Amino acid sequence: MNQWLDDRLHISRLNDKFLRKAFPVHHSFFLGEITLFSLIILILTGILLALSYEPSNSMVVNSFDPGTADAPNLVPAAYHSALKINAAPFGDMLRRIHHWTANIMVAAAVIHMMRVYFTGAFKKPREINWWIGMLLLIFSALTAVTGYVLPYDNYAYNTLKVIYSIAASIPWVGEWVAQAAFAGKFPGDGVIPRVYGYHIMLLPGILLALTGAHMLLMIKQKHTQPQYAKRVAYKKIVGVPLMTQQTPIMLMLTLLFAGIIVLFSAFIPVHPVEYFGPPSTTPIDNIKPDWYLLWVFGVLAIIPGIEFDFLGGNINSEFIGAILLPTLAIGAMFAVPMLDRSRENLYYAENPTNHPVRLGIGVAFMMLLAVWSVAGYKPELISSGILSTENANTVLWIATFLIPALSYFFVQAVVRGIRSLREADERDRTTHAAHADD
Amino acid sequence: MTRYKRQDPEITRRKFINVAMGTTAAVGGVSLLSALGSANPVFRLTADKMPPLEGDILVHAEESKEGRPIALADLSDQLVRAWPMGKDENGADVIRKGDPNNILALYRFPAGEIVAPTNLEATVDGQVVAYSDVCTHAGCSVSDSDINAGEMRCPCHSGQFAPKRGAVVIGGPPPKPLAQLPIRQDGERLVVAGFFLTPPYPYHNNEAEWDNLKQEVEEALA
Ligand code: HEM
Ligand code: FES
Repeated sequence: MNQWLDDRLHISRLNDKFLRKAFPVHHSFFLGEITLFSLIILILTGILLALSYEPSNSMVVNSFDPGTADAPNLVPAAYHSALKINAAPFGDMLRRIHHWTANIMVAAAVIHMMRVYFTGAFKKPREINWWIGMLLLIFSALTAVTGYVLPYDNYAYNTLKVIYSIAASIPWVGEWVAQAAFAGKFPGDGVIPRVYGYHIMLLPGILLALTGAHMLLMIKQKHTQPQYAKRVAYKKIVGVPLMTQQTPIMLMLTLLFAGIIVLFSAFIPVHPVEYFGPPSTTPIDNIKPDWYLLWVFGVLAIIPGIEFDFLGGNINSEFIGAILLPTLAIGAMFAVPMLDRSRENLYYAENPTNHPVRLGIGVAFMMLLAVWSVAGYKPELISSGILSTENANTVLWIATFLIPALSYFFVQAVVRGIRSLREADERDRTTHAAHADD
Repeated sequence: MTRYKRQDPEITRRKFINVAMGTTAAVGGVSLLSALGSANPVFRLTADKMPPLEGDILVHAEESKEGRPIALADLSDQLVRAWPMGKDENGADVIRKGDPNNILALYRFPAGEIVAPTNLEATVDGQVVAYSDVCTHAGCSVSDSDINAGEMRCPCHSGQFAPKRGAVVIGGPPPKPLAQLPIRQDGERLVVAGFFLTPPYPYHNNEAEWDNLKQEVEEALA
């Protein structure tokens, strides 16, 4: 059959070009692959969910608890369909798998990105793929947030409300943007169909296109080579080909990973819609976004309530905290490849300890996001007595500056330690070698 | 030898094609932008979406009692949420919950505890006070504080308000106090005495738009 296909489609050229691509063998190179598998699992489970989900926020009678004829118990159709999915055999599992995979996809992407950053793999010629990767991260988060809203329980409703008001806080155009994005004044009659369109058509389409570009560039430019490749065969590509050595490794990894997700889903529930109930005016205490957006939430919690008019636009703390600061943080991440001025193409993955400043800045940046994420727990910190209403903001703002700075210097100290150990080893080896010569 | 020198055309072919393609792409692109307009549906101000109006009765918002008029005896220093209930164009009762920002917070404090900047004229005997229950920060529904009795706390980013003092901000990111709603007593019932005294969320930083809305409401009712 191969012959038959080859005669017509010349697939052997494909084979030479793509399927023999050499994959370096190192565990840190599997992080990107885990992200890719997550996307595939999300698409498969998402299609299954879409078969039973009803994208509408019109009110329907709750068939599980219909109420009486003159006082029927009305709930949004989307919420009702989430209840029905939960009641169906394996339905709750399906939702949990979809939700857990979404979390793991973002986590894998973040760690993958850390690997790329710390080993310098973003340097010339791979800048474009760093930027595509950033876009993938942003769009994954957007996809997950829109997915969050779909069950349309009280939790989703409150989340959507906050998202709407963040969009509306953009000066000058905010109100228009928010209404255009979410089908009219909150909560518009068409808001769920709108978010559904984003979640299952627009955003996955963008994600797939970006993923395709990411993979093609990776194949064209090749991975950075791990250090051991330098010793094995200098300036040669070392690794196992996609067909057939890498494929079984990938398959095993996928199955193992799928197994872990199913285990997680079986034991740890996510987003229990029955517990939160349909949208209502009763707020949810200490509502939190998913972990990867907690830092934005933390900024909002500690930013003082400022507001001023600028050229006819209203600039408020919500805009500064939820749009301006995150844009700056993301902008800094986009700028990373431009800070490297070398003209040489990078061939080998670098040892992070040989680039202590880059390592230190990366760690400090992560600590900054961590401090802000902790700030997202401000109400809990206050009610547990660790902080008080009066000092919470001050303490958290000091931590915002102090902890990243301290971790920067801590990293420098550790790197110096590692280096002097390495040099001592080196000296030992040379003296031993000298003795052996005698 | 050559009699005729070859004249360069004023514009090269390449340039012509580039300009032509650029123009079509720009015109086409801009025309597609107009499709974005359809993303933003027309807003119709129906009775259930109007803000609380003079004469509206305050009714319970809590699920189990929704729509029942609120009596003085139902109120205490614990927050009670209410909807304004008015009439639609056919004169039937309509709870104005089509706009969730119409949710109200009611408190009743012992005489003398409610002080300025609360507008005491707009309370019932200086004891019962009504505010918009929507946080001026990002529009979450504000609750009683779990730490200090007699204060309010927003569950979203811990904005804090003092309901005895005109719901001024005493902590967190909200930029403005909660808007106070003037109320009066009418027999057993609590009745709205007029529009919010200051623009409520989401008009809290856009006075002009709030005035527009009030005008639109008055035109619709006239
Ligand atoms: C590509 C990345 C994707 C991410 C990160 C993602 C994330 C999420 C999340 C976090 C939820 C909330 C789950 C819950 O709590 O119930 C959700 C729900 C949903 N997703 Fe996705 N999703 C993705 C792709 C897709 C695709 C491709 C489809 C369909 C073709 C899809 C269809 C759905 C549906 C129908 C729901 C609502 C299910 C329900 O909660 O009842 N998703 N998604
Ligand atoms: S919405 Fe109330 S504090 Fe942010």
